[in-house]
Amino acid sequence: MEYLYDHYAGALLGVIARIIKKEEVAEEVLQDVFLKVWDRIESYDASKGKLFTWMLNIARNQAIDKTRSKEFSKDKKTGDIDNFVNRIDNEGYVEQKVEAIGLQELLKVLPEDQRFIIDHHYLKGYTQAEISEEFNLPLGTVKTRMRLAMKELRNLLKVE
Amino acid sequence: MNVEAYISSGVLEAYALGELSDQERAEVEKNLKQYPEIRKELAQIEEAQEKFLMNAAIQPRAAVKANLFAKIEGQKPATRVVKLPTESTGIAFWKFAAAASVTIALISSYLAYDYWNKWKKTENNLSELIAQNQRLAEDYNKVNQRLDQIGNYLSITDNPAFKRVVMTGTPNAPGALASVYWNESTKEVYLSIQDMKQLAQENQYQLWAIINGKPVDAGVFDSNFAGLLKMKDIEAGASTFAVTIEPRGGKESPTLETMQVAGNVVKG
Repeated sequence: MEYLYDHYAGALLGVIARIIKKEEVAEEVLQDVFLKVWDRIESYDASKGKLFTWMLNIARNQAIDKTRSKEFSKDKKTGDIDNFVNRIDNEGYVEQKVEAIGLQELLKVLPEDQRFIIDHHYLKGYTQAEISEEFNLPLGTVKTRMRLAMKELRNLLKVE
Repeated sequence: MNVEAYISSGVLEAYALGELSDQERAEVEKNLKQYPEIRKELAQIEEAQEKFLMNAAIQPRAAVKANLFAKIEGQKPATRVVKLPTESTGIAFWKFAAAASVTIALISSYLAYDYWNKWKKTENNLSELIAQNQRLAEDYNKVNQRLDQIGNYLSITDNPAFKRVVMTGTPNAPGALASVYWNESTKEVYLSIQDMKQLAQENQYQLWAIINGKPVDAGVFDSNFAGLLKMKDIEAGASTFAVTIEPRGGKESPTLETMQVAGNVVKG
């Protein structure tokens, strides 16, 4: 469990924090996510996907549930994420700057429309349906662009 | 089903993103079991997603971890521990198992090396001991044989039935000395040398008994033996024993000029 935490907490908080903009709340959600993982680890089925994907889905659902609860309103999503996410250099956070820069460069390589999807989905916390809705794109187009973007990422990240 | 069309529909990406309805998920999971291509494709999507999100990670503050694990500790730790052998906690288990096996491997290779050395040393010692033992056994056998021999000699020299005939040196060999033990009733003759010089290779000593003035061959011998040498039987009536030097193998009649020692049988 500790291994899981050390290995994945950063990536999961990255996802949660981009859905929930408040630092304390995001970390609270992260805790809840790990408690859930701890509770349900028996129900993880390796034939249905990687452990990280499973944890990622728990994290996303948990974070999205949180935004739908009373103290959160949808407009927070369009609020300024930079406050929190870009505060990563501040005390308490240990983010490797090199990798953050690598991430930006990674995204620059993608065509504009694909970058838009990846950016909104992974970094701004939208679901595909939300992207389609808010930006007036057919869901099929969002899906196709997402697929092409993922293919591109596979090449860039050298997934064998 | 057209697997390629299925893959390019983007449904696997949506699956990895957790954006499918329960029904759609079940559908994908069914296909995953059936088509290895789909499994492979999903694995690649997931890996890209994981790597991407690792790049976008934000590390939580240390207090979060401490807090979390305090909570987990609080949750019935005993039962949780029992539930460990599952897919993910398996990782921690494997870490521990790997560390343990490395330790065990190190210890056992040291022990193996140590024992191998000891075994090697023991083996050397053992073969030395075996060799020593063999030498001792041989020596013992030799001594034993020698003892038997001496016992036999004694049974001859101490036996009153044997007459001892001392043969002293002739002018040819003034210092020479030899003895004959002769049992008149059994006709046995034994020879012992006290002092007789070494002969050239082509010559041998020959023992003669003089019976009624005639020399009778009693066998040939070399000077290099210890103890008693059994010679040819000699009939009763011999008055003198003498030794001459003859060509190797001996002759039918003695070359008297070469006579080395001679001695008369004491009557009685």
